[in-house]
Amino acid sequence: MKRRAALVMAVAMLVGCQREQRDLRLDPPVAAALDQVAPTANGIGGAPPDVYVALGGPYESNAYNLGEGKRLYTWFNCKGCHADGGGASGPALMDGWWRYGADPVSLFVSLRDGRPNGMPAYRDKLTTEQIWQLVGYVQTIGMASATTAAPSRNDEMQSRPAENRAPAAADLPTPPSR
Amino acid sequence: MALWAALFLAVGGAGRAEDAPGRAPAAAITPETVRGLRLVSTFRTGNPQAHVASPQVAGDRLLVFTPFPHTLFALKVEAGHLRVDWTFRPDGNRMVEGVACCGLGLPGPAVAGDRLLLNTLDGHTIALDAATGRPLWDVPSAAVPRGETLASAPLVAGDRVIVGTAGDDFGIRGRVAALEAGSGRPLWTRFSTGSDQDVGIGPGFAPFYDRDLGRDAGVTSWPPGGWERGGGSVSGTLLHDPELGLVFHGTGRPAPINPDQRPGGNRWSSGLFARDAATGAARWFYQLASHDLHGVSGTGPLLMTDRDWKGVRRKLLIHVGLSGYVYVLDRVTGEVLSAEPFVPVNASRGVDLATGALLRSDNKTTRIGTMTRDVCPSLTGPVTPGGAALSPETGLLYIATSRLCMDIEPRPATYMQGTPFTGANLRAKRPPNGSLGALVAWDLAAGKPAWTIQEDLPVLGGPLPLPGGVVFYGTYDGYLKAVGARDGRVLWQEKLASGIVAAPTFFTAPDGAQYVSVLAGQGGALGPSAGLEVDARDATAARGLGNVLRGVPPPEDGGGALYLFALP
Amino acid sequence: MRLRHLIVSVLLPLAAGGCAGSQSALDPQGPNAASLAWLIGAFTIVCGIVWLLVMIVVGVALLRRRGAAEPADTPLAEDPGRERRKGAVVLAAVLATVVIVTGLTVISYLATHSLTAASGEPLVVRLRGYQWWWEVTYTSPSPDRFVTSANEIRVPVGRPVRLELSAADVIHSFWVPSLAGKQDLIPGRDNQLTFTAERPGIYRAQCAEFCGVQHARMALVVVALPPDEFAAWLDGQLRDAATPANEEEAAGREVASGKACAACHTIRGTPAAGTLGPDLTHVASRQTIAAGTLPTTRGSLAAWIADPQGVKPGNKMPMVPLSADELRAVSAYMASLK
Repeated sequence: MKRRAALVMAVAMLVGCQREQRDLRLDPPVAAALDQVAPTANGIGGAPPDVYVALGGPYESNAYNLGEGKRLYTWFNCKGCHADGGGASGPALMDGWWRYGADPVSLFVSLRDGRPNGMPAYRDKLTTEQIWQLVGYVQTIGMASATTAAPSRNDEMQSRPAENRAPAAADLPTPPSR
Repeated sequence: MALWAALFLAVGGAGRAEDAPGRAPAAAITPETVRGLRLVSTFRTGNPQAHVASPQVAGDRLLVFTPFPHTLFALKVEAGHLRVDWTFRPDGNRMVEGVACCGLGLPGPAVAGDRLLLNTLDGHTIALDAATGRPLWDVPSAAVPRGETLASAPLVAGDRVIVGTAGDDFGIRGRVAALEAGSGRPLWTRFSTGSDQDVGIGPGFAPFYDRDLGRDAGVTSWPPGGWERGGGSVSGTLLHDPELGLVFHGTGRPAPINPDQRPGGNRWSSGLFARDAATGAARWFYQLASHDLHGVSGTGPLLMTDRDWKGVRRKLLIHVGLSGYVYVLDRVTGEVLSAEPFVPVNASRGVDLATGALLRSDNKTTRIGTMTRDVCPSLTGPVTPGGAALSPETGLLYIATSRLCMDIEPRPATYMQGTPFTGANLRAKRPPNGSLGALVAWDLAAGKPAWTIQEDLPVLGGPLPLPGGVVFYGTYDGYLKAVGARDGRVLWQEKLASGIVAAPTFFTAPDGAQYVSVLAGQGGALGPSAGLEVDARDATAARGLGNVLRGVPPPEDGGGALYLFALP
Repeated sequence: MRLRHLIVSVLLPLAAGGCAGSQSALDPQGPNAASLAWLIGAFTIVCGIVWLLVMIVVGVALLRRRGAAEPADTPLAEDPGRERRKGAVVLAAVLATVVIVTGLTVISYLATHSLTAASGEPLVVRLRGYQWWWEVTYTSPSPDRFVTSANEIRVPVGRPVRLELSAADVIHSFWVPSLAGKQDLIPGRDNQLTFTAERPGIYRAQCAEFCGVQHARMALVVVALPPDEFAAWLDGQLRDAATPANEEEAAGREVASGKACAACHTIRGTPAAGTLGPDLTHVASRQTIAAGTLPTTRGSLAAWIADPQGVKPGNKMPMVPLSADELRAVSAYMASLK
C-alpha cells in the first residue's frame, strides 16, 4: 500500500517536471501558412489559418510567446503612440474598446496591413511569427480576466497593474464619445 | 498674440511691434462693464477633437478652423447672430493621424489682405480667397510618410509665406521654407540640422555667443548620420519683423528623447533662429539647451516689443521657453538679456548670461535605463505656442501655464520611418507646491510675476488681454474668465460645456459692436495632447498626463463649440 | 614508474599548453593581466608552501610514535615546560597566519589597485551587453567620429583602453583573460575596465555571467593593432557603407533596406537605421558574426540570414522569409560591407 502511494506520488511529481514548450524555431512552411488569414471584406474579423487552430493557438496561451510580444511592443515603437496601453496619439489598448475588432485575425490584419487612420503597416518590419506574438500580447493588455501566462510587471517604469493582473477587469469604461 | 498680430494686420496694416501705435479698438469692455457680458450666440463645429485653434478675424468674418479632418468656417456676425458665409474642406490624408504627436489641431489661417493662408495637419499649404473660400493654390509642405506634419500657422512676411514642419516625435529633419505668396512657388528651404549650406549658415551668420560658432556644426555635433533624423522641428510660433527684414523661429528638441543615442551638442536643435526673410540665411542663433536632456524645445511663444531695457531703448524678442524661463533677447544681436523661471524649475539652475548656457542640475540629468524623478518642468511643456500675450497698456506678459513635473526614463528608440522615434517612459507629476496650472502676469523688467492666478488644472486657453484693462482666458474645466489686467481680480466667469484649450478672440463687428468669442472643445479626457480614446489608468498615457489627470472627469461632449459673448 | 613517466612526458606539457593561447589568464599580454597573473602566481606559491607545511606537520603528528605518556593516575597534572613549548608553537602559528594573510591582502590590494591606474590618455570605448551580443562604440571628443560596431573590439597597442560597460537587458560580464580581469555589465549601472595590450594579436573574450539561453555563444575578440594600423582602420569605419560593386550587391542592398532587416540594423548610407541589432555598416570587416558563433564568410552570412534560429536557437533575430535570389543577393551585399 505504502509502496503504491509512493509510486503515485513519484509519478505526480514527474508531471511537475514538464515545462512549457518554447518553440524557438518556427518551420518556414508553418510560418507561411500562419500568414494566410481570411479576413472579412471590411478587414474586421475573419477566420484564422487552419494551422493556427491545429497548433492550438500558441500565441494566446504560451508564456514565452506572450513575453516575446511584450518585448516587441517596446522594440517596435508601439509605446510611442499607444503608451503602456493607455494611448496617446494612438488609441488606448486597455479600455476594452477596439476600432477594428479585438479578435486575433482583426489584430493580425491591423498590425500587418495597417489601418487607414494612422496605424502603419508592419508587413516589412516584422515577420509573421512576430506579428502573432504581438497579437497575443496586445490582447492581454485589454484582457477582462487574468491569465497566468500573461507577462508580469515591467522591468521599466511602472505605469499600471501588470498584464497578468488584468487591469481591464475592473470597471470597464464606457465607449469614448466620438 | 498671433490673434493680436492678425488683428493688427487686418485692421492696422502691416505687422508692427506691440508698442507701436496702431488703431486699437475702442475700449468698451472694461473692468466696470465686463460683468454685463452675455452669451449671444453659439455654433457647433461637429468635430469631436480638441480645438486648439483660436477663432480668427478676417475683415468682417470670423474664421473657425477645426482639427483634422479640417473644416474652415467663415462666419459673419449679423445683429448678434452667427451665419455661415462659406466653408472650406480640404481633402485629407487620414494616415496623418498616426504621425501627429500631439492632437489633431493646429492654429488657423494667416490673413494677408484678401487672402487666407492655411496649413493643414497633413502637410498642405493652401491659399484661399477670403471672400469666397475658393482655393487659389495648394502646395505640399510636409511629407506624411516621413513623419512630417504641420503644427503651426503659416507666417506672412511681405510677399512671402513662411512654413515650418513638425514631427520631433517621429525623427524628422526639421525645416522651414518660404513660398511666394502669389503662386505658392518655393523660394528657399532651410534645415535645422546638417551642413552649413543646408542650415543657411554663411558669412552673414553672427551669433552672440561663441559656442554657437563652428563649421558644419549641424553635422559635427551629432553621431554619424544622427542629424538626418535629429528633429529640430519648426513647429512653434513664427515671427516677422519687417523693419529688420528678419524672421524668427524656434527649433524643436533633438530626436530621440533618449540622450545617449545622440552624443554631442545636437546643433541646431532646441534653439532660436533669426533668418533673413528674403534669403533664409541665418543671422543669429541661440541654443536654449545644448545636448538637450529634458525636451527644451524652442517652440514656445515668440513675441516682440520695443522697450527701454535698463535705460536703453532696445528691440526685444520675448521667448516663453519650454525650459520654464521667460527669455528676453535683443532681437538684433541674439543677446540674452534676462531669463527667469515662470513655473517651478529644477531641471536647470538658471541661464548663464555671460555664455548663454543653460546650467544643468546635476541630480536631474537623464540617461538611458535610469529613472530620474520629479524633474520640473515636464517634457509636455509649461506653455503652448499660443499661450502668451503682451498687453501694450499694462506692459505685462500674460502666460497660460501648465505647472507639471515628470519622472523620465530614457529607453532605446529604433528609427523606422513613419513610426515614433521617442525613447522615453514619461509619467507626469504634480509640482512640489501649488496647482497644476496658473495664469501668470509677468513683469519683464523685474523678471518675476506681477500676480498669479492658480488653477486646479493646466491652463491651455489663452490669454487675451484687451485694451480696456481686462484679460480673458479659458480653463480646462470649462470656464471662460475675465480678470483685471493689473491686479488679477476675477471680474466675470461663465461655465461652458467643455474645457477650453484655445485662446479667446476679441473683435469688433462692422456696426461697432464688440464681441468676445471662444472655442470650447478639449477633445478627450487627456486634452489636446492625445486622441479621444485614452485610458488614464495607464500612468504613461498621453506622455504621462494620465498620471496627474486620471481623476478629472471626462467631458460629456468634448467637441468644438463656438461661444459668442457681447455687452447688452 | 611507467605511469610517472607518462605523466611527466605527456600530461604536464599538455596541461601547461592550456596556459598559453588567445584566452588565458596565465599568458598575460598586458600590464593589467600581468599583475593579475603575478598575483595568481604569488597566491599559488604562498598557499602551496603553507599547504605543504601543514601537511608535513599533520603527517609528523600522525606518524610520531607515542613516547612515554603521562602517568595514568594524574591525567590533569601539568608539566610547565611542556605547556610553554605548546604555547610557543600555537603563538608562532598564529603569528605566521597573521603575517601571511596580511601579506596576501596587501599584494592583492596593490595588484587590483594597479588595474584602474592607466598611464596616458586612454581610448574610451563603450561596451554594451545585449542578449546575446556586444555593442561596441568608439568614442571621440567629436561626436561625429563615434564609431559603432559589434562583437569585436579593436585597440591600438601600447595605449590604455578604458571600457565603459553597460547592459541593456540582464547582467553580463566581460572577460578577456589575456588582457584583464572580469568586470560585470549591469543594467542601470556604469562600470569601467581599463587595460593595455602590449603586443599585437587576437585575444578572445567571453561573457562570464550566465545571461540566458545563448550565454555560451556570447563571445567577442579583442584585436590589438599597431597604432597606425588602428588609426587607418578607424578612419575606414567612419565611412558610410560600401556602394554595391555589381548588380547582385545592388539587389542585396534593396533587400536589406526594404525588408525587415532595416527595422533592426543600421547600414549607414542606406535607409536602414534600426538600432535593435548590431550595426552592419562594416559587418564584413569583422572576424565573426553572431557574437563569435560563425566566422565571417559569405556562406556563413547566408546560413545565418536564412536560419538564425537553427544556428543560435533563441536569439532575437527572426527568420525573415527570403527567396533564394534574395538570399543570394543580400549575402553578397553583406559580404561586400568591408
